[in-house]
Amino acid sequence: MTTTTASDDTAEGPLPPLPQPDPVTQFFWDGIAAGELRIQRCQNCGHYLHYPKVLCRYCQSDDLAGERVSGRATLYTWTIAVQPFHPFYVDRIPYIVATVELDEEPGLMFMTQMTDCTEEDLRIGMPVEVTFVDLHPELTLPFFRPARDGGAK
Amino acid sequence: MSAGRRVAVVGCGYSHVGRNTGLSIDDHMIQATKAALADAGLTVADIDGITSVGTEPLNDAWLLGIEPVNWWATGMMAPAFSYSATQAIAAVASGFCDTALALRVIGQQPSSSALVKGAGANHPMTSMLHRAAGDRQFIVPFGAGSPVQWAGMFTNRYIQQYGATEEDFGHHVVTQRYHASMNDDAIFREPLTLDDYLAARYVSKPLRILDCDYPVDSGSAVIFTTEERARDLAQPVVLVESYALNAIRDLHFEVMSDMVHTAPVQTAKKLWEGTELTPADVDTAQLYDGFSIIVFQWLEALGFCGEGEAAAFVREGNTRLGGSLPVNTDGGACNVGRRHGANFCIESTRQLRGQSGERQVDGAEVAVWTNAVGPFSAGAILTKG
Repeated sequence: MTTTTASDDTAEGPLPPLPQPDPVTQFFWDGIAAGELRIQRCQNCGHYLHYPKVLCRYCQSDDLAGERVSGRATLYTWTIAVQPFHPFYVDRIPYIVATVELDEEPGLMFMTQMTDCTEEDLRIGMPVEVTFVDLHPELTLPFFRPARDGGAK
Repeated sequence: MSAGRRVAVVGCGYSHVGRNTGLSIDDHMIQATKAALADAGLTVADIDGITSVGTEPLNDAWLLGIEPVNWWATGMMAPAFSYSATQAIAAVASGFCDTALALRVIGQQPSSSALVKGAGANHPMTSMLHRAAGDRQFIVPFGAGSPVQWAGMFTNRYIQQYGATEEDFGHHVVTQRYHASMNDDAIFREPLTLDDYLAARYVSKPLRILDCDYPVDSGSAVIFTTEERARDLAQPVVLVESYALNAIRDLHFEVMSDMVHTAPVQTAKKLWEGTELTPADVDTAQLYDGFSIIVFQWLEALGFCGEGEAAAFVREGNTRLGGSLPVNTDGGACNVGRRHGANFCIESTRQLRGQSGERQVDGAEVAVWTNAVGPFSAGAILTKG
């Protein structure tokens, strides 16, 4: 199979499900616009938090900020989406929905799509890296792909 | 045995379950309740507590003519019927009320073909699919957010971690259908073969359509009261030996850091802490099958087999009627239709009463039933009184 790419997208057809940023999450989407993956981090205890919240669940501090992360992760699991649930994705199946564990902290999971690979390329625990995909003129998302350097530290 | 007054299951009932029945949610609630009252030999006047997932309990009580209501509870973000049931058990055990009605009422969700045309925005089980606000802004734009996708990821992680195969899930599906073939209440009763399973379409690979429960309109009702009262009623007595309700995080399955050991691990631990019984004492298990992988998680969490061994346990026939632990003897929600856990409580009760007919487990004295997976789950151990 091939994965979804943005190359043949146009402004025609159904709109994607556009994220609705709010004051707590705006940093994340600002990061995407700047080509950076930013994850909320507690400035008091240092834990990362995803999804972003108004308080740190580890220490209840409200001193939180979005920080750029490495974009490196390991693949935890994936599924091949073959059934669309949103009009935008009707012509985009199949695609690979995946959960990856970001390198910054054990258990810091990020749900995404895998791109630039086939199903056969995937193994749990494999190193992956973020890549920003323009799905639509109004939507760029952080997808992941197999790490080009094989995950060298 | 759990603390407080000993609680019994005395009445079980369903509405006229089916696809697009044309009946209202209230109709399903009332039909199921009447069936449960008739089963128990009780009247509305005997009920003084009510809880529901899917309907508003005080509205239900008003429609049913229950007054006074001495106890009620509303379940919103809750593990479906098992929330209603465990709350009702606790309410009776504590003396908060004497006879409690636990409900799960479900309106069939829109089909996937309707969903992609924008339907479902107001249905409780699909409204989240198109809304990319709050936490959902990190899920929906990615083409995710349907339960089949987390279930696909849970299933795939299990396969990858333990070397299980898609055929292993097929053995489970074939076994459940065999049980359904002996259940007049089941919607799907034609036997399946492993080839039938493998030929079924994927919905979120490796998850197939036959791994998913079947959306229907349904109402399910179970009545709990004290052991003392139960002994005066017509039905054979079925007692609650142990019960548990647990959550391990908020409701985001997609970012769970361990998708193999989830809430059932905690629920199972609490269930066994509440009894001197052990897994070897259980005669039949009714394990929630919203997706096949959930049954595998429960088999391992409850200790019926070792970690990573559920696939082999199923493949070797243990879960089939006549095997060491018949599982989902009514056919499961994949075959009787979505009742969100209530059918497992009801089938357990019928097995312990000796009322399961052709699919009766000989000499069944101990049953365990469970519901949900991932962030939260619940269940109970029932015994023949």
